[in-house]
Amino acid sequence: MRKLVLGIAALVAIVPPAFAADFNDALDGVITGFIRPATTEFAEISARLPSAVSTVCKETNEANLRAFENAYSETIESFSRIQFLRFGPLLEDDRLSRLAFLPDPRGTAQRQIRKIYAAKDDSVLSAETLRDKSVAVQSLTAFDLIAFDKDTNIVLGADGENRAFTCGYALAIAQNVAAISQSVASEWRDPEGYSRLLLSGGGENARFRTSQEALESVFNALTTGVTIAKDQDILPALGTSADKAKPRRFPFSRSANSVVYLSGELGGLRDALTSMNLKRLMPSEDQWTLDTIGFEFKNAGTYLSALTVPLRNTFAEDGNYNRVAALSIVLSSIQELMSEGVAGSLGLAGGFNALDGD
Amino acid sequence: MHWTATKCRQISRRGFLSALGGLAALPAFTGSSLAEALLGRSEGEDATIFASAFKDGNGNYGIGLLDDYGQELARIGLPGRGHGIAVAPDKRQFVAFARRPGTFTVLVRPFEEQYPAVIASEPGRHFYGHGCFSADGRLLYAVENDFERARGVIGVYDLSARLPERVGELETYGVGPHDILLTSDGRVLVVANGGIETHPDQGRAKLNLDTMAPSVVFLDAQTGDLVAKHVLHKSLHQLSLRHMALDRKGRVWVGGQFEGSSVQSPPLVAVFARDEEPKTTDIPAALDGKLENYIGSVAANRSGDVIATSAPRGGQTLFWSVEGGTFLGAQAIPDGCGVAPVDQGSFLVSDGNGGLSFVSDPEAPSEILARPPGISWDNHMVAMS
Repeated sequence: MRKLVLGIAALVAIVPPAFAADFNDALDGVITGFIRPATTEFAEISARLPSAVSTVCKETNEANLRAFENAYSETIESFSRIQFLRFGPLLEDDRLSRLAFLPDPRGTAQRQIRKIYAAKDDSVLSAETLRDKSVAVQSLTAFDLIAFDKDTNIVLGADGENRAFTCGYALAIAQNVAAISQSVASEWRDPEGYSRLLLSGGGENARFRTSQEALESVFNALTTGVTIAKDQDILPALGTSADKAKPRRFPFSRSANSVVYLSGELGGLRDALTSMNLKRLMPSEDQWTLDTIGFEFKNAGTYLSALTVPLRNTFAEDGNYNRVAALSIVLSSIQELMSEGVAGSLGLAGGFNALDGD
Repeated sequence: MHWTATKCRQISRRGFLSALGGLAALPAFTGSSLAEALLGRSEGEDATIFASAFKDGNGNYGIGLLDDYGQELARIGLPGRGHGIAVAPDKRQFVAFARRPGTFTVLVRPFEEQYPAVIASEPGRHFYGHGCFSADGRLLYAVENDFERARGVIGVYDLSARLPERVGELETYGVGPHDILLTSDGRVLVVANGGIETHPDQGRAKLNLDTMAPSVVFLDAQTGDLVAKHVLHKSLHQLSLRHMALDRKGRVWVGGQFEGSSVQSPPLVAVFARDEEPKTTDIPAALDGKLENYIGSVAANRSGDVIATSAPRGGQTLFWSVEGGTFLGAQAIPDGCGVAPVDQGSFLVSDGNGGLSFVSDPEAPSEILARPPGISWDNHMVAMS
């Protein structure tokens, strides 16, 4: 027995520090401190959306419209907080694309929805048949297109020849989203599910040979999340100058939920990063990067909370354009601090094509 | 600033798209509901098809086929990480190569009801990740490592038989050949000898950085005879010459990766021709030192008058005018590496975060067309039409 212990001690001694580092605490932190509560919250909140849709469609009055508006905004917000989790349960079964078809600069969803309306395609009227349609027409981004008009007014429940069709279609999307979010949350809660794969790097684990590889996959999802927020969700709306701005390109701008979405998106990234408690894994001289990231997230929040909504109508007013332009600079800073500062300090591998390229 | 005012020429790919529609039934393809639904857009529309190697969110490797909206049409599984893709002249078949030091290539004939054919490397050889077809499409040239003798070779495969057969081998007159292409007259093979010696027993370790001697060689495609061999100035002997594209004038644009000190910032892009001295281009001052001395991919637009060179480590894709070799502009695309021409006026750039960016103006922000969740696009993307 003593021999064995000595043998292990000798083994530990010769393993270089990079391989000895155990990132399981950080992974456990993000799973229990962020992923599980945030996906559970998304499931609980989106579960209320179908009844909010039904209520508006049953009786379209001011109170029901406001309740629906709130239920939808809360759904967008809780979704925006978890949409960057581009690994595990959210990828299974095309779930993320079925929750939001983004980006869509060529208007694929709008084109397909027009065809659905022209043909009065009743396969979109139940969640069971909707799930077999193109992902572009079964998601929250499709919901934005059918339940709101281009001036951000609610058209769900509005009188007109499409009233019943839109009500049926919106309910099917809401049920589809609720079902997907339920699956995501329950799979993340499953201790034998993807969380186990993440927490068991090394040994028999063919997906993650070390806990470092597992953390890299999570951390790279965070940096990709910041890239998406900046390059995909903000820059297309900013255009090349204020007079060429395209505020309709903000996600969920039709329902006036762009600021809700962007705030949730950045809040989710910030909270996930915080939950990993990476500071204790970093040398003291590098720890300032995390503090600076925290400071920059605060700056981002300040710019976002000063915006007047709905952005598609107000973008040219009140300094809103400049605030979003400043926000994009803050995001560049966060991007750099994360990929060069934090990842560099922890020795985490970055880009797929930048690793040991060809 | 648009780089060309000429309207792009549309090539009908309706036949291709409708053929892809049937692919879901084939064993090689796992058509997603997304792919099938989006195929609807082929009615009355033309689309260019692109192919790129990828890694998915579960760590599996494959080749993705995409349309010019960046939407996935089909996926083909690979036994390991892929790299380059060679497309046959008739566009009816392509070959996906394993990343070096891989031992497989996969021949895919998407319009025939057959499994992809796997070609394993010969004993004593491994693939380097690139290859090209002969002008008649009958032969495949694959760059390989004769690792016991540390010399580059080109394996020649006859694809006309039911199963591909290795029928010969040519010398590359250098070490560590990487990219290969056929000149437009179909008579000359151009090979970039990266100059880096590796041995599969030591994985991807670089064994000769002090003495490496990269070159670009021009070979007679029929006989394998050396027609011309060019090297850069000896001060650049650590600039591994790796990826290539042909321009309108038939010259070869080569992207390099510098293996010397990281504090230096040497030129990374050079232009070669059979009968001319090579010329290097100047990296603009604003990007000097920011590319991490690494070019990952080189591609020409449809008319061959604009060259794109991606620098994934620096997160920049640079564009050059063939006329005069002037720098046109750069796009910041994190981990952007694969580049393929959409038409005369635009490129599609793929990145390691799944993004597919449309660049139609080197100075205006690119447009992210799609980002399939969980996907990392590998170094190279090719246009299939």
